Amino acid sequence: MFRPVKLTRVTIQTPEEYISEVMAILGDLRLLHLIRVEETHLGRLGYVAHVNTTLLGRYDALLVRINRLLEDLQFPRSSQVVGKTPRPDKVIFRLEEECTAVEKESLEVLEQRNKLRSTLFEHQTLIDRLRLLEPAGLELDRLYSLRYTTFHAGLIPEENLERLETSLGEIHHSLIPIDRKEGRVVLLAMALKEDEAILLRALKSAFWDPLELSTELQGSVTSILERLTGEEQQLEDDLAELENKCKALAHQFGGKLQQLREELLLGRQLLLAQEKFGQIDHTYLLTGWLPISLFDDLKQRVMKASSDKALVEQIDPAEVKEVRSGILSIPILFNNPALIRPFERLTTLYGTPTYEEVEPTAFLAITFLLLFGIMFGDVGHGAVLCALGYLVFKKMFRYLDYGIILMECGLSAIVFGILYGSVFGLEDLIPALWMRPMENISYFMKVSAGIGISMISTGLILNLVNILRQHRYGELLSASGLAGALFYWLIAGLGVRYFLIGPPSAFEILFAKAAGGLLFTLMILQRPVRQLLARRSRTKKGRFLVPGIGVTFLESLVEVLDELLRYLANTASFVRIAAFALAHAGLFMAVFTLADMVRSAQGSGFFYWLTLILGNVVIIGLEGLVVSIQTVRLEYYEFFSKFFRGGGKPFQPLFEEKGTP
Amino acid sequence: MLLAAARYGYANAKVRALRSRKLTEQDRHFLLTAKDLTSCLSYLATTSYSPCLADPEKTIPELPTLERQLAQPLLGHYAKVVYSLRGAKERELILALFRRFEAENLKIVLRALFANLNRDAVCHLLYPLGRLNDLDWDTLWSCKSVSELLEHLRPGIFGQSLQHALPQFEAQGRLFPLEMGLDFSCFRILRQAISALGSRYDRTVTEKILTLYIDILNISWVIRLKKDYGLRPEEILNYTLPEGSLISLACLNHLARAEDIAEFVNHLPPAFRHELSTIRDWAKLAQRLETYFLKALARIFSGQPFHIGIAVAYLLEKEIELANLITLLQAKARNLPVEEIGNRLSWQITESVYVPAG
Repeated sequence: MFRPVKLTRVTIQTPEEYISEVMAILGDLRLLHLIRVEETHLGRLGYVAHVNTTLLGRYDALLVRINRLLEDLQFPRSSQVVGKTPRPDKVIFRLEEECTAVEKESLEVLEQRNKLRSTLFEHQTLIDRLRLLEPAGLELDRLYSLRYTTFHAGLIPEENLERLETSLGEIHHSLIPIDRKEGRVVLLAMALKEDEAILLRALKSAFWDPLELSTELQGSVTSILERLTGEEQQLEDDLAELENKCKALAHQFGGKLQQLREELLLGRQLLLAQEKFGQIDHTYLLTGWLPISLFDDLKQRVMKASSDKALVEQIDPAEVKEVRSGILSIPILFNNPALIRPFERLTTLYGTPTYEEVEPTAFLAITFLLLFGIMFGDVGHGAVLCALGYLVFKKMFRYLDYGIILMECGLSAIVFGILYGSVFGLEDLIPALWMRPMENISYFMKVSAGIGISMISTGLILNLVNILRQHRYGELLSASGLAGALFYWLIAGLGVRYFLIGPPSAFEILFAKAAGGLLFTLMILQRPVRQLLARRSRTKKGRFLVPGIGVTFLESLVEVLDELLRYLANTASFVRIAAFALAHAGLFMAVFTLADMVRSAQGSGFFYWLTLILGNVVIIGLEGLVVSIQTVRLEYYEFFSKFFRGGGKPFQPLFEEKGTP
Repeated sequence: MLLAAARYGYANAKVRALRSRKLTEQDRHFLLTAKDLTSCLSYLATTSYSPCLADPEKTIPELPTLERQLAQPLLGHYAKVVYSLRGAKERELILALFRRFEAENLKIVLRALFANLNRDAVCHLLYPLGRLNDLDWDTLWSCKSVSELLEHLRPGIFGQSLQHALPQFEAQGRLFPLEMGLDFSCFRILRQAISALGSRYDRTVTEKILTLYIDILNISWVIRLKKDYGLRPEEILNYTLPEGSLISLACLNHLARAEDIAEFVNHLPPAFRHELSTIRDWAKLAQRLETYFLKALARIFSGQPFHIGIAVAYLLEKEIELANLITLLQAKARNLPVEEIGNRLSWQITESVYVPAG
């Protein structure tokens, strides 16, 4: 939990004929972070990436067909779990055959439906156009039968009508406005047939939007509309019938198509993974990071699949040359229990820990819930948060992690609500098992400072662990290392002693002065001394004092003072826990006062309760947001800054969720 | 008067300060007589245009790029004028004038989309709009087609005109209707902004400027559509702007149908006819009209000083200066003789005329 999953570097060398089997095994294991062979020293040996583009093309083409079927059948795309990963070169035959079978059953109906839809659309467009002309009571067949006159119906912007009229001044014409629609005039423009070209040019330049009408339309516009409306009803009925058939098809084949699509995507991803493989003649080589616990299983399966012709090697990360030289970093695969896992998002928002660092998610989760609960302690509000979290958890798959965090925060708030004896701000419903914040302000402040000291101390201890793990022993005597931590604990101890027992004795003060002075001197001098020793060991002779040592001393002094002051500021910063808890209680008081005022003004219990409900909603929304922000702030700036450096690389499993085509 | 002074005192001082930075007669003389484009730019670098010029000794940018760079002072002055005005309606008027540059940039986006060019290929042709810009260009550039772009623009000020022009764009398969739609919408919002002004005097002055501007644009467009594009009279008339002051629709109709320049001038109203009676060359007509307009703008600066017309007149004056400067640079790039270049320019003859030595 406090360390990422232990990984090992795996290298597989396999003859070409077994590569598909090996890929299928890798697909089954899933937890492999592939490294592009061309980017390792093996790439220099002549191993080059080779993707089977022909096969990939077949996958892509089939994916297009399946996606189209799913879209036409209006079957929602969702993820389905594929059990055993198939061989990509083999499974494609089955997938193609199954897709063809579904197409055979459904394409004809789908095409009929699409055709009918477009017919209906054209029909409706024609009806819409004719409706624009309806007020004029036109008889289209009579207009079409005119021998010397041409006519055009359409729309033009209102402001262009006058100019159009003037522009046609040289020819015999008639412009008949029929109706107005969205800043445009529905117009019937008529002219002699010999002037049709002029009329059309003028109309075109006046932003004419023609209403295309077929010469087959006979009779008055009203009678045509009646006929078309009847036909439209028939078309709609036919379409409804076909839609029902499509629904039945979707019911019959939707699940199957979804399954095919998932298998297809899996195979496609495996094929794409080939670009990280290396190939030389008829041998494939692939390398990557794998959880050490899976190695034996992988080896056994690969050897069995390749009839012992493959070579599977494991290298300890510490022995990998690129890792030692810092070129390659070991990826981080988090290893947290389900309830803590959602907090990984908050950790990675700050940074990805390196492989050697303490993985801080567990500490973050525990302290986050503790701080949130203390600041937001109320049984009712906690229950509301829990319910909201459950809703997110159930309904919004994408925000599942946030749903869990919300539920956990709610539970924490409930626990502290019980300790504070508060239910929706009502403090007389249940007894306070610990204290009522508003009645114990001074005590609460001390508790907050105590929490701060504990969290900062934890951060300092974790930092020491990181220093030792990463062999940064030089930092032990610095202000951020062991010396700084001892100094902090010395001062914190004195503070705790003063507040809990009373003023320290003369001996304790003397001891603190001596130890503090010693540690302070150590912290200031460690850097200049190390610099001196380093130069001496390089040059072996010459003057003891080297140029620039004064500046280093001064820098060291400023750094130490800065770091120690920061310890003080960080500890004081935790007093905000009490402040926000008190603000939470204070807001309740304000809401109750407001509700009382409303009741005395309105004389009705309804408004009293309405004010209380609205007040609680505001508190949950506003205070919930503020408390979350403050908690994150304390975690990042006060806690993480003590030990967490980040800069690691996240583990990318073989089938990481990417934009699916 | 006192109220107007309080309202426009600062803006008036600001505009007059900006106007003092215009190219002087001396500047115009040296720019015109510069031996080539490089020396012309070297001289320009000594004027108020210097901040937007790279070192001409080192690199001469492409002319289209340079043209847009030179527009920076003008667009910057738009912002300064807007921020110097106190009233929201007055600001709206200046912004309405400014929208023409947004429309020009939109035309570039439309052309790029139509020709399948990406943003990088045409970005040097865009006006640097600066702080007053009101459009989300990143979203507009992310559009994959003209229709998608028009859909994005639908709720905005250009939306209605573009939607009206859309059927003809689809029917003709060229951008001309959409570009005309953009121009129409610019003048429509200008007219709306003028009629929204609170003071009657402001309305009268700005209407006078705008309607004259529309008249001159209409005459220029008629000439261009007739001579350069070869359009027929019935089309030309529909591509003109409504609501000019001196030139009626009937007059425009006659102009569109005029056979030669003499007939064309003859159909113009007396004010223009008097100015253009000696012209026998189509190319010079537009240039002379611009000079006429510049004189009219210069007259705005005499008389009552506290009105919005001062700002409008200055910005249009500056715009014409920029257009002349660009014409000059284009001519210099083609090494045209000084006399020929002079004939193409409409620089305003100002109060302090420079008399070159010798």
